[in-house]
Amino acid sequence: VKADAWIVLPFPCALISSGRRERRKKLLRELRATGSHIILDFSNCRTLDHEDIDLLLRCVAQVVGRDKQVVFAADSNAIRALLEVTRISSLVPVFNSVEEALERLKIAVPNIVEELQTCQSHAWSA
Amino acid sequence: VRLAAVVVIPEKELPLIHASSFHALGASESLYSSRMPILGNDLLQSWSQLIRKLGMKSLWLTSAFRQGTASFSALAELAGRGFERLLMITLKSYAEMDLADLLRFHCEKRNSVTEAHDARGQLGVCLLDHLALAQMKEESESPEARNGHGQIPYSFSGYAKRILSTKERQELVADGLTGACAMRPVGTEVRENVWIGPNVSLADSARVVAPAYIGRGTVVRAGSTIGPFASVEHDCVVDCGTTVERSSVLPHTYLAPGLLIRNALVDGGYLEHLGLGIVADLEPAGLASKIKPLCKRAQMFHDSDSDTVFPAGNVEAWHVSGQITSNEWREVHL
Repeated sequence: VKADAWIVLPFPCALISSGRRERRKKLLRELRATGSHIILDFSNCRTLDHEDIDLLLRCVAQVVGRDKQVVFAADSNAIRALLEVTRISSLVPVFNSVEEALERLKIAVPNIVEELQTCQSHAWSA
Repeated sequence: VRLAAVVVIPEKELPLIHASSFHALGASESLYSSRMPILGNDLLQSWSQLIRKLGMKSLWLTSAFRQGTASFSALAELAGRGFERLLMITLKSYAEMDLADLLRFHCEKRNSVTEAHDARGQLGVCLLDHLALAQMKEESESPEARNGHGQIPYSFSGYAKRILSTKERQELVADGLTGACAMRPVGTEVRENVWIGPNVSLADSARVVAPAYIGRGTVVRAGSTIGPFASVEHDCVVDCGTTVERSSVLPHTYLAPGLLIRNALVDGGYLEHLGLGIVADLEPAGLASKIKPLCKRAQMFHDSDSDTVFPAGNVEAWHVSGQITSNEWREVHL
C-alpha cells in the first residue's frame, strides 16, 4: 500500500447530461480495472437522482471484498445530506474535498504499512 | 368593552427551490410554516383554545407578509367594525398563557397597548385599545413601536416557545413528547411517552423508541424504527427498514425503504437537515414524495377521537387562510 496509490475520479452526476451513460460505464470499468484506491469527487455535483444513487451503490459493490477502498469527496452539504439519508455515508468515508481526503489518507496509510510490517515480522519470528 | 381576538398568520416567502433541487438555506429560508401540525396539534388550535377560555365565540384571521404583524390599516378596519379592544396574537410562538390575566393586567395598568414579554422579549401577543389605534394613526406607528412609549409590558413567566424555524419546532415536539409543556400529542399513549393516533398500521417488526409520536392513518412498515424524539404526522407511509430519529415527518409524506432520517424535517419530497442547514429535494432520487390525499376535506380534521376545535364549516376557513391577504379579515367561529 502506497500513499500515491489513490486515484481521483469525478463522479458523473445528473447535471452532466452529455455522454452521461458513457461516463458511468467508464467509471465502473475503471473501478473494476484499477488496482488503486479511489476518491470519487462530487465537486461538480449539486444534486443526485435515482440513477446516481444506483451508480453509487454499484461503485461500493465493486470494491467490497477487494483489496481496495473507495472514499467520497463532497463539498456540498446537500450531497452530504443525501449520502446520510441513503446510509451510504455509513459504508464509505466522506470528506469535504479531495485535498482533505488525501491529507487524511496520507496520514493513515503509513500507519497501515507499519502495522503490516510489524505483523509480518511477528509472523516470521514465530 | 367589545373585544375581538385577532390571529395574524405570518406569511413567508416559499423556499426558493429551483431546478437545481438543492440550495443552501438563507437566514430567513426554511421549510417551516406556522400551519404545520405539531404532534397532531396546530398553533392556531392551541391559541383558539385559550381564546375560547375567555368566553369568546369567534376569532378573526388575517395574514401578514414577512413583517409578521398586521398592518395598521388592517387593524383600523377591524376596529371600524365596532370593536373597542383587540387581542392580537401573531402565530409565531406557542405560550401557555392565561389570557384573562393579561386582560386584567391591561385594565389595571390602564395601558392603551400591552405587549406580552418573556425573558427573551416579545411573544407576539398584544392587547390594543381603539384609542391606541387613533394615536398610532397620528404618529404612524406600529403596535410594537407603541410599546416603548411608557406602556408597561406584561411579563410572562410560564412555558413559551418561539417557533420561527424548524429547529424551534423540533424543540417544541420534544417538549410535547416528554411532557415538558402542556401540548399533548393527539392520540393514545400506548406506553410511556409513545403516542399513537387512530388507524395507525404498525408492522410487527417495526420499533417505536420513546419518546415518539405516530399520527393517525400512518403506515409503518416492517423493520422501521420511529424514535427517539420522532414525530410522524398523519397519513404518512414509512417504508421497510427506514429509521426516523430526532426528526419530524409532515402529513402525507412517503419515505422510501432503508432511509436514515436523522435531525431533519421531511415535508413530501423535501428534507430540511437541521445540522447541515440545507433543504434537499429527495424526490428525484426516489427517496421521498408527497402522497396525494384521496379526499383532502374528509381526511383533514375528521378524526372523532381528536379534540378538534373547528366545526366542519370553519376548517375550510383555516385551510384557505394562506390565501388571506394582509388587509383581509376572516371570522372563524369557535
